[in-house]
Amino acid sequence: MKSFLRTVSGKVGEWESGERPSLTHRLTHSLTYFAALATALLATTTHARINVVTLPDRDSVQLTIYNSADLTLVKETRHLTFRKGLNKLEFSWANTLIDPTSVEFRALSHADEVEVADVSFPPRVTNTLEWRINSEFAGDVVVEIRYFTSGLSWSADYVAEASKDEKLIDFSGAVRVNNNSGEDYENAQVRLVVGVIRLVEDIANLARAGKPGMPTTVAAMSAPAPAAAPARRLNEAFFAMDSAEKSASAKPREIIREGVSEYFMYTVEGRDTIPNGWSKRMPSFRAEKVPITSYYKFEKERFGDQVIRYYQFTNSVANKLGNEPLPDGFVKAFRFVTDDLLYAFVGSTGVKYIPVNEFVELELGNDQEVSVKPTMMDWQKIDISFNALGDVIGWTEKQTWQFEVQNSKDIPVVLDIRRNFSGDWTLTTNAKYDKVDANKVKFVVPLKPREKQAFTYEVVTKHGTNKTR
Amino acid sequence: MKRLFCFAVAALLISTAAHARVKLVALPERARVVVSLSHPDQTLVEEERLITLQKGVNKVDFSWRGVSIDSSSIQVRALSHPNDVKVLNTSYPPNENALVWEIASPAAQEERVRISYLLSGITREVTYRAVAEPNEQSMTLRNYLRLHNNSGEDLTEAEVALGYGSSFKKTIAHEEVLEMLSERIEALPVKKVLMWDSATLPWDPEYQKNTIGIPLNYVLTNDKPHKLGTHTLLPGKVRIFIKTKDQPAKEGEQVGEGVAFTGEDWAQLTPVDREMKLYIGQSRDVKVTQRRTKDERTNIRRNTANQDVLWDKDEIYKIEIENFKKEAISLTLIEHVPGYWKMVENSHAPQFKKKDAFTFEYNLTLPAESTGDKKTTVTFELNRLNVQGNEPQGY
Amino acid sequence: MNMAMKVSGKVGESVSGTRRSLTHRLTHSLTYFAALAVMLLTTTTHARINVVTLPDRDTVQLTIYNSVDLTLVKETRHLTFRKGMNKLEFSWANTLIDPTSVEFKARTHADAVEVLDVSFPPRVANTLEWRINSEFAGDVVVEIQYFTSGISWSADYVAEAARDEKLMNFAGAVRVNNNSGEDYENAQVRLVVGVIRLVEEIAQLARRDEAKDKAMTDVLKSKSELGKKMYTRSRGARAGGAVGGLGMEFDGIGARQIVKEGLSEYFLYTVEGRDTIANRWSKRLPSFRAEKVPVTSYYKFEKERWGDNVMRYYRFTNSTPSQLGNEPLPDGAVKAFRIVSDDQLYSFVGSTSVKYIPVNEFVEMELGSDREVMVKPTLMDWQKTDLQFDQQGDVKGWTVKDTWQFEVQNSKDIPVVLDIRRNFAGDWSLTTAAKYEKVDATKVKFVMPLAAREKLTFTYEVITRHGTSATK
Repeated sequence: MKSFLRTVSGKVGEWESGERPSLTHRLTHSLTYFAALATALLATTTHARINVVTLPDRDSVQLTIYNSADLTLVKETRHLTFRKGLNKLEFSWANTLIDPTSVEFRALSHADEVEVADVSFPPRVTNTLEWRINSEFAGDVVVEIRYFTSGLSWSADYVAEASKDEKLIDFSGAVRVNNNSGEDYENAQVRLVVGVIRLVEDIANLARAGKPGMPTTVAAMSAPAPAAAPARRLNEAFFAMDSAEKSASAKPREIIREGVSEYFMYTVEGRDTIPNGWSKRMPSFRAEKVPITSYYKFEKERFGDQVIRYYQFTNSVANKLGNEPLPDGFVKAFRFVTDDLLYAFVGSTGVKYIPVNEFVELELGNDQEVSVKPTMMDWQKIDISFNALGDVIGWTEKQTWQFEVQNSKDIPVVLDIRRNFSGDWTLTTNAKYDKVDANKVKFVVPLKPREKQAFTYEVVTKHGTNKTR
Repeated sequence: MKRLFCFAVAALLISTAAHARVKLVALPERARVVVSLSHPDQTLVEEERLITLQKGVNKVDFSWRGVSIDSSSIQVRALSHPNDVKVLNTSYPPNENALVWEIASPAAQEERVRISYLLSGITREVTYRAVAEPNEQSMTLRNYLRLHNNSGEDLTEAEVALGYGSSFKKTIAHEEVLEMLSERIEALPVKKVLMWDSATLPWDPEYQKNTIGIPLNYVLTNDKPHKLGTHTLLPGKVRIFIKTKDQPAKEGEQVGEGVAFTGEDWAQLTPVDREMKLYIGQSRDVKVTQRRTKDERTNIRRNTANQDVLWDKDEIYKIEIENFKKEAISLTLIEHVPGYWKMVENSHAPQFKKKDAFTFEYNLTLPAESTGDKKTTVTFELNRLNVQGNEPQGY
Repeated sequence: MNMAMKVSGKVGESVSGTRRSLTHRLTHSLTYFAALAVMLLTTTTHARINVVTLPDRDTVQLTIYNSVDLTLVKETRHLTFRKGMNKLEFSWANTLIDPTSVEFKARTHADAVEVLDVSFPPRVANTLEWRINSEFAGDVVVEIQYFTSGISWSADYVAEAARDEKLMNFAGAVRVNNNSGEDYENAQVRLVVGVIRLVEEIAQLARRDEAKDKAMTDVLKSKSELGKKMYTRSRGARAGGAVGGLGMEFDGIGARQIVKEGLSEYFLYTVEGRDTIANRWSKRLPSFRAEKVPVTSYYKFEKERWGDNVMRYYRFTNSTPSQLGNEPLPDGAVKAFRIVSDDQLYSFVGSTSVKYIPVNEFVEMELGSDREVMVKPTLMDWQKTDLQFDQQGDVKGWTVKDTWQFEVQNSKDIPVVLDIRRNFAGDWSLTTAAKYEKVDATKVKFVMPLAAREKLTFTYEVITRHGTSATK
């Protein structure tokens, strides 16, 4: 669980002469342990003398965590002292899940004067790389190092609290960050990306290879165990930090929202410490009195005889929402059943990603309080035609259906009944219906509290030579 | 795996018997090493050495160990006196990675020779990293070359030639991987387009458990107006980032500039003037609902057994598209129709483009926040002709 | 790996002791020259032996075939004969010599030296004994020839194309591999290109302890005569001679009278000078080098053969105007390079093998696919029309019209020629503004020169009539 950064400056060829001692930075960003630094003898091609000068700690760490893939973009900044000429900067990591092909270096200050000549993944070692950097500047440079790691994830969850009449809900969201990366992240800025990015190779597999292009079966590292001891040790610090924050400001921390390409990004205000093996949940929003519709669906081919209950609302400003898309996650829905706000559990469901102004359907499972009973009342085979041999070659089928629907609830609901037909079919009914597509119709019926209704339709289907379409 | 090139020049008479060959001599230093990676699968190494030849016939011994050389590919060429110094023959001893050249020289002289051979174990990879501007209309593209040396041989100050661009000098040890920037293009114009394909995506989002992601593509054009067009772009992994605002760590600090990752794809080989399409992620802020609202057979022709043998079809499709984003976006709808068909009616003729016999596209621009009443609706009516039920869908 | 030759009197032949035969014992092992002894054997069982001389091989000639595992070895030696009966013992071990093929002939005093018979003595392997009656006493040059297996040769070539791929240097070499168990020193090497039919493999015969099998004799006799004829004819051939190379000549020999099927023609290459090829070594000898051979960088696309790949070829003619044409080129491996810098650095183009190339024959070397030439076919339209029905009302005839668009692009900085082949089946007819040639009844080709970095598009329409609509 260590990663090191080490600078070696001075040209290889010059080391032999010993005229210019070269400068080495060695860094660790392990949170658990700052290795004692030593003057190391680094053998590249020749014998090099290396002076350890300083311990450039990470100045800042930023985590950009994705929820659609096991991927986190880590950005850290450090202060390094460069010499003029060739500088060698060694970066190594172990027991972490860093993708070696992703590691990038860039100078934030003196960017025009500092240029990476190449990157070497040295022979016979894994989890190490060395940048060869030409600098026209001597002195302190702020650098940024970026890489992909695996093992951090985040998810969204929601709570919906419906009013007794199920016309309004209070809707709140939270995000939960899980750290199984093998690394403790201390004082990190956390950014969460909502979106489906595409990865053509698994980051964890690339990380296990230890260097680019190695077969991933080479166990360059074992998967980091949730290091129990350090996590415990950091336990206190974790809570200490949280309480310190809380005492500083009593209000929950803000989450800044930003659209990025086809994705959406939350930046959590302030800094967080997430030790390996821990997860952390943060509230993200709360909307009160969001108008909803209690919507019920019946479709034999999809749900059998069950009637499925939905809360429908729109993620819009008019509905007290609409500030941001809602990430896919889990919802728990409750209904207030008493004046002192006792809950009844309505259901739990996964919710789709909801863009701003999109209509939301929370599917809350079967509800026996709304029933649909279809009955075929009549069946006729008519208009039979024959060929020259006297065989049946065409016929027409006429079905008469009766639908009894009942709302046993004390609140109004909307019921949506779908029927699928095939072939050369014709529908006749007094009931109001919409054609969904060439072979599907829907009957949408608003039902008052405790209302019962019945409707019928007739469907004529032509077969064989009677068929004209 | 330690490589060893033994290189011996001897003016001695090698016994024709299978007696031990005497390999005398100085190891001539390599004067130059050129590694040519222009062939997609094979690596050609050319090395130059200075050897001292006696007048008459010289035996030059070349052997190797710990490296995989295609021995039938080994050639030697005289560079200093190409017209006078002749390779008389080459002998291959049994069970040895070695050969012996008999080289005739008209005089005692130093000769620069170039030895060429195909060496296994040196591979290269092209990777790309791009950082897009927040508006996604342009990006900075960096093209990296990654060399893997598993040849058994340390290459020192080797000239690496790729077959395009200029060659460069690198030292790369056995088992080392070296990555270097080979090209950087600033402000490269890029086109962002969503691609909804009726063959691969669900038609009715309402019936899906998850929000349908529509493939998000960046399209580069390998031509001069797009700041490229100098050479064929080689296949490799492309990782695309986008610039973001970095929130300050402390209050009062300035908003910095950072990046977020937006996805990756394998770039396909892209000749000059052609497009490179990179599918890097999915958009879930655009919703496409396609329905076939008419699907009827007409002109049914039946055989004497009253089976339908031939008919035409009248099909109407309606595609409703909502863009929930605050920005306009390009969307390509891809439709597939098997067999022989004719377009009868088309709501978006200017955006319509036939791609091949069985595929057409609509290249649409969806206005910002075009949802609800403002949604985009595409309808088209097709006549499928002389249908027998065995129509080809591809070629 | 010893091969010994010995001339001896035969055990038990005579008790009188009046006729003594001369024994020569020779070895032609390259590793070890045994001390030779001329043994004077009495016809009694008690033999007096005189060591007289060491009859070394004076010359060795190898005639190596590349189509079968067969080499004709001819060696000459000086032997000292006595008047009367001479016994010449020839033995070999650890070699792959076909015992039925061994022949003896006197090159000098041929009229005076006559082989009476050949004996394969009992209980000894790899030995034979000639009984030779000589009317001459003294030095005789004899020739011994036999077939051996285990020696092979192959040709290989290096093509160095100029940067524009319009000219190339083309060099050939031959590589002789000796796995015969025998070292050949200072041998004249001759290489035969052609197909020879062997009734029984030489290697198999060699493995027999003794081959007294009379049935084989005729076959092998004809083979050895073939060898003799070849020898005779090729002697007249002029020795060529590029410096340091091997003078190559060939001589068409109609050998139909000797070998029946499978061999109509072959060519013989004689390597100038002498070579030493130790057992298990191989040796590569340059055979020719032609400069500035005109070449065409030719590309082919044929979906049915290579899928989406475009294959690259170098094309040239083995003819005098093309700086070649002096000889047919044996089949062999080719490595092709392109010279990419003024200091003659190579870029590897590809490797392939070429078939046997007669003089004036056109050659195509397939060098693998090249991504820098692109062919993208698109079926732009498909129509099924003109349906016809039988009495049952089923479809019995129809016509399909395909419209194809081809986008082609040469990304290279040199001009190339592109050859696109399309295969059609059935009753088809093609309509296009593009130039094409019909290859055969079901194949057409579109051949187009493409300038450096040129792109172009062409279309064609193919109408295919099916079922009863088909008229051919």
